[in-house]
Amino acid sequence: MGCRYWSMIVSLCAFSSGVLAADPISFRKEIAPILETHCVGCHSGKLPKGDLDLTNSKRLYEGGANGPALEPGSAAKSRMIRLLHEKKMPPKTPLAATDIARLSRWIDEGAKWEGGSLQLPAKIEPAKRAGLDWWSLQPIRRPAVPIPTVQGWTENPIDAFVKSGLEKKGLKPNAEADRRTLIRRVTMDLTGLRPRHEEVDAFIHDTSPLAYERLVDRLLGSPAFGERWARHWLDVVRFAESNGYEVNTLRTNAWPYRDWVIRAFNRDLPFDQFVREQLAGDTVSGADELSQAATGFIVGGAHDLVGNSTEEGKRQQRSDDLFDMVSTTSTAFLGLTTGCARCHDHKFDPIAQRDFYRMEGIFAGVDHAERPIRLASVLPQPAELNQIRERLLVLNRQIDAAEPIAVPTNKGTPRLHRDPLNSRRNVERLQPIEARFIRFTVNTTNDNAQPCIDELEIFTEKASDGNIALATAGAKATASSEFPNSSLHKILHLNDGIYGNSKSWISDQLGEGWAQIELPRPATIARIVWGRDREQKYRDRTAMSYKIEISLDGKIWSPVAGSWDRGKASTVNPDLTRLVSERDSLQVRLALLDKPITVYAGNFRTPEPTHFLKRGDVMDRAEVMVPGTINGIGPAMTLPANATDAERRNALASWLVSPENHLPTRVMVNRLWQNHFGQGLVRTPSDYGFNGDRPSHPELLEWLASEYRANGGYMKPLHRMILLSKTYRQSSLIDPAQVSIDAEHRMLWRFESRRIQAEAIRDSTLQVSGSLNRVAGGPGYNLWTYSNYVTVYAPKPILGPDEFRRMIYQFKPRAQQDGAFGAFDCPDATATVPRRTTSVTALQALNLLNDKFMFDQAEKFAKQIESLTKDEEMQVKTGFRLAFQRDPSPRESQAAVKLVQSAGLANFCRMLLNTNEFVTLE
Amino acid sequence: MLPLSHVGRSLLNRRDFLSHTATGLSGIALASLCAAEVRSTMPHFTPQAKRVLHIFCSGACSHLDTWDYKPELIRRHGSPLPGIDKLVTFQGENGNLTRSPYEFKPHGKTGKYISNLVPQLAELVDEMCFVHSMTAKASSHGPAESQMNTGFTLEGFPSAGAWVSYALGSENQDLPAYVAIPDPRGIPQIGPLNWGSGFLPAAYQGTAFNADKPIANLRPARTVDAKSELASRDFLKLLNEEHLKHNPADEGLAARIASYELAAKMQLKAAEVADLSKETKATHTAYGTQHKNPNQAGFAKNCLLARRLLEKNVRYVQLFNGAYAMGEGVGNWDGHKQLKTDYDKHGPILDGPLAALLKDLKSRGLLSDTLVVWSTDFGRMPTFQKGAQGRDHNPKGFTVWFMGAGVKPGFSYGATDEFGHKSIDKVSTIYDFHATILHLLGLDHEKLTYYHNGIARRLTDVHGHVIKDILL
Repeated sequence: MGCRYWSMIVSLCAFSSGVLAADPISFRKEIAPILETHCVGCHSGKLPKGDLDLTNSKRLYEGGANGPALEPGSAAKSRMIRLLHEKKMPPKTPLAATDIARLSRWIDEGAKWEGGSLQLPAKIEPAKRAGLDWWSLQPIRRPAVPIPTVQGWTENPIDAFVKSGLEKKGLKPNAEADRRTLIRRVTMDLTGLRPRHEEVDAFIHDTSPLAYERLVDRLLGSPAFGERWARHWLDVVRFAESNGYEVNTLRTNAWPYRDWVIRAFNRDLPFDQFVREQLAGDTVSGADELSQAATGFIVGGAHDLVGNSTEEGKRQQRSDDLFDMVSTTSTAFLGLTTGCARCHDHKFDPIAQRDFYRMEGIFAGVDHAERPIRLASVLPQPAELNQIRERLLVLNRQIDAAEPIAVPTNKGTPRLHRDPLNSRRNVERLQPIEARFIRFTVNTTNDNAQPCIDELEIFTEKASDGNIALATAGAKATASSEFPNSSLHKILHLNDGIYGNSKSWISDQLGEGWAQIELPRPATIARIVWGRDREQKYRDRTAMSYKIEISLDGKIWSPVAGSWDRGKASTVNPDLTRLVSERDSLQVRLALLDKPITVYAGNFRTPEPTHFLKRGDVMDRAEVMVPGTINGIGPAMTLPANATDAERRNALASWLVSPENHLPTRVMVNRLWQNHFGQGLVRTPSDYGFNGDRPSHPELLEWLASEYRANGGYMKPLHRMILLSKTYRQSSLIDPAQVSIDAEHRMLWRFESRRIQAEAIRDSTLQVSGSLNRVAGGPGYNLWTYSNYVTVYAPKPILGPDEFRRMIYQFKPRAQQDGAFGAFDCPDATATVPRRTTSVTALQALNLLNDKFMFDQAEKFAKQIESLTKDEEMQVKTGFRLAFQRDPSPRESQAAVKLVQSAGLANFCRMLLNTNEFVTLE
Repeated sequence: MLPLSHVGRSLLNRRDFLSHTATGLSGIALASLCAAEVRSTMPHFTPQAKRVLHIFCSGACSHLDTWDYKPELIRRHGSPLPGIDKLVTFQGENGNLTRSPYEFKPHGKTGKYISNLVPQLAELVDEMCFVHSMTAKASSHGPAESQMNTGFTLEGFPSAGAWVSYALGSENQDLPAYVAIPDPRGIPQIGPLNWGSGFLPAAYQGTAFNADKPIANLRPARTVDAKSELASRDFLKLLNEEHLKHNPADEGLAARIASYELAAKMQLKAAEVADLSKETKATHTAYGTQHKNPNQAGFAKNCLLARRLLEKNVRYVQLFNGAYAMGEGVGNWDGHKQLKTDYDKHGPILDGPLAALLKDLKSRGLLSDTLVVWSTDFGRMPTFQKGAQGRDHNPKGFTVWFMGAGVKPGFSYGATDEFGHKSIDKVSTIYDFHATILHLLGLDHEKLTYYHNGIARRLTDVHGHVIKDILL
């Protein structure tokens, strides 16, 4: 890089010096390049440094916060020239003397501006940073598949690309791995478990040309595939089941997200759905319960629960939450480190600081919280639930229809013809009227305390519309104020669809306050239902005097109902008694059946304003930002400033999966490649910017991305193509001669063997010992016991069958590691891990040798062998077959029998579990 | 030691991002095992210190009741903090200015005023180098403790010790390069993150153990007679060697074989270093390992363990004082409600054992090439909290101190205002603190980088200046 940068500077100078003495200086040829290269990086945009904008003549002549930058005609009197000479500007790299001389001459000659505005830095300085012309931002191409010279490498396009790459470097691919290695490799890769010895045997002797293909298909269809591959994605999204930071308390209900990921991989969820459900699964129509839990992605990060009384502390906590959402979404899907633009424009990639805050606006309606979701598909639920809910809607409609129509105004002292108010449920029946805004104003309450409303429901005359005030239907709630320091009484609870005091709104004004619903579009409303506590536990804070007004534009309001005509108990309509009693009994039944579990998948509400923060400082707010994404990348996205939370998240999802956004597909196919081969075609899987890696096989990456798109975003066909390739099937033998040509093994002339990951070691150990518990899904097993008001994690002394489930089901607190397997580079979920490191340490050896878990499993392993045979030689053979799926060599057998005789079968088994062969994918 | 291939060598010697993103198993494996090779590019310049002892007082030990003497606070005791109406800090409103319940007296040749909460440490003021103008970014323990130990308030970053062991490796192959010694009362606020490796390979994380709890899995969980264990290990070696024959150039496999040999050595040496019975009775008495308060005896044993580790050239030792799990101020320095009651308990636990350790380091000549640093989450307010007998969090000004290799003894740098509320003179940051520690180890904090997700990351983010004035 350095070389290219300098050559550019040098060529600039060479060019300029030739014309220095002659004609008047050329602004475009000589001055603009200096300003563009050295100055406008800071002196541009909405918040230029020192309020000095050097990108256009008007702002240049106006000067900045410290006065005029220059005085046309006198370089000597120009502040700019003085600062340049004093090396105060540019702040890091002083300008070359020749450049200062040129600028001085230009000012002396009158500082004339020619032409339009200067280019912004994102589009220039190709040697120092990426612009919008960066490789990863260009449209995905469909390159022609090359034709290599050797037969047999042309059938699979992957092989054709890889082989022609090898040929260019003079490298030779390895021969195909032997059959045993192959079945072990593909089984461990896809499922994290190993094949049984009989399966290996059968495969070795299967002469069908389709044997391998059938094996691959069987494994891709196995539920164990999702249990292995979901783990890779969970690393990327920093999934954990505790809050992190100081208290690090448990999130016992975050697991549905994990189950969703496993299911997504097993069902091969197409890419657009994979993205959309994680960002807005709650809004996808027809989404089942697990899909609604997919938004656990957004709030998967750490969240500081410690209350902070200072304004700065509160803002910082919120800002950190949003930062995590923006940066994780961005690295996971876009492969861009947008988080770097929190405090300043990205130093290397075309991401402005404003882009960061636009994107933060997308999440401004998301709270770190749990949300009730009925997990019917996971936890069995009676089918009658939905019937009851539908029946209740109908019953309420019929019962409410008997209510008298409200008198819209209090003019002329209306007669009291409606029921007196109650704290449970009040109905306002209206003459159907078109409205977009509905405002409920409380003037007094029954105890003069701040008024409370647990839910404000609005209905049209059409039964199928349901409650149109719900946030999930796109409506927005606002209010005059909100009860401070309480998570129970938020504005968002006005239209969250949940009854009861713990999800209600309370104002911050004694005896008064207003609440408002803004519908996504005008509707003809006919009925409004509200209450203080439909669960009937509280009777205080109930509105006694109120009015309801509507508006189409939010400016002109007309009243439609109020307390003025309430007071007389209506005579009981005998036709209704049957309906009312049916409703009452159904409600009792519903409460019994319908116990939704709350899932840590975020809570959604009316977005708060997102401010641009100067230097990322939460106390230095600038203008309010319109939500959006990164300008210049992907399709243009326009959202109204007041877009609802659901609109925002859906817009982001649409932008990510748009055919005009070229990053996400490249990022995704490369992740897939990485997890098969150990390293990606791009080795920085979450960074496709200037500091990231360049693809080893650019054409192959393009081809795979285009293929992924063309097939509708399905992963399994790509897995299949990779696994069937000759490239994947090569042996792992290392030829030192080839190493000298391609030390980093980027050209794929062998299969790179590697130590398997922590989860695979633990799962395989349990599998071999015969204790693996294959119970899938649901809350994870727990290795820990807890104490105290902050969570201190202590390992459980004794583990049982539940703890012998696959490690993906291990309850995963942040910053706490499994005592035996955590040391094998297991992510601690404090940050995204796009690619695990693979370290080899003495502590790992100590864990596998000495941990109680290993002793226990070795003993079970030994017992299993003993139950099969008493003959020592056979015992050894059985042990090898279980652990390695092969028979021992005579030398191994002899040594093993000796060990069994002297140290016992269990020690023999423990050593097998410690071998390289056991923990290496080759 | 394994011979290094040219692959491994080139990977290890290149400190740009490719050295780690490009490696498969082998590069990292070698990096973690062959510390001698890593050291070939570092330190950047001649170091003053070979190793670090970092004492961390969990919960925010009040500078106003220990190291930062403020006569004006005594004079204005009971009056409001001027210029600030209804000041709200972390836990809420504050009451009036409140003098320390502890007396300050001059100590040593320098005549430095130190409180009688830490009388034995006070005797060492002529060795200490105080920075009274420290500031933290966060006012909440989690992020603040994270900043003090990893440089960042957010989670997920490598601890200072991990950076140092990444840069310098170990001089002692038989022991971990980096050891964290948790307090006998439990772990600090953010627990293992204090010694985590963040995005650095796991090999660089601190190994946590103390005098009561040895390294996990150092000993087999079940009794195995020595002969059987030896035979088992020999068998393992044989299997691994047979296996290696199929792919003899695979360094990853070779590294793993070596890791078992290192493990065997570590089993011996780590047990040996943790065996405090090797110390004389006089030493035990000086540290107070038999003190009647079990917490004090426990911390004393940890201090003794720290010295034994430093003696064996462990690169970075983090010694924790105070634990979180027992509640606010009960087991640590978080004196919100009843500062005197809490500190009367915590003061002696820290004072005697730590003073003994520092004196011991000095008398054994270890201070000449060991850097000792003392720090805490942040400072505390000069006021008492409204309606309480304790001080709220104060990240705007507090004290840390250095001692030993490369720093001026008996020196004080920077200052807080007359009440000890805010740093006003030579305001310092935790970035500066870390930059200075790295500098003393011969490391340029701007050059010690590791590529992670788009950025060549540093311990000091994009900030930090070495505090040159405190250097010898």
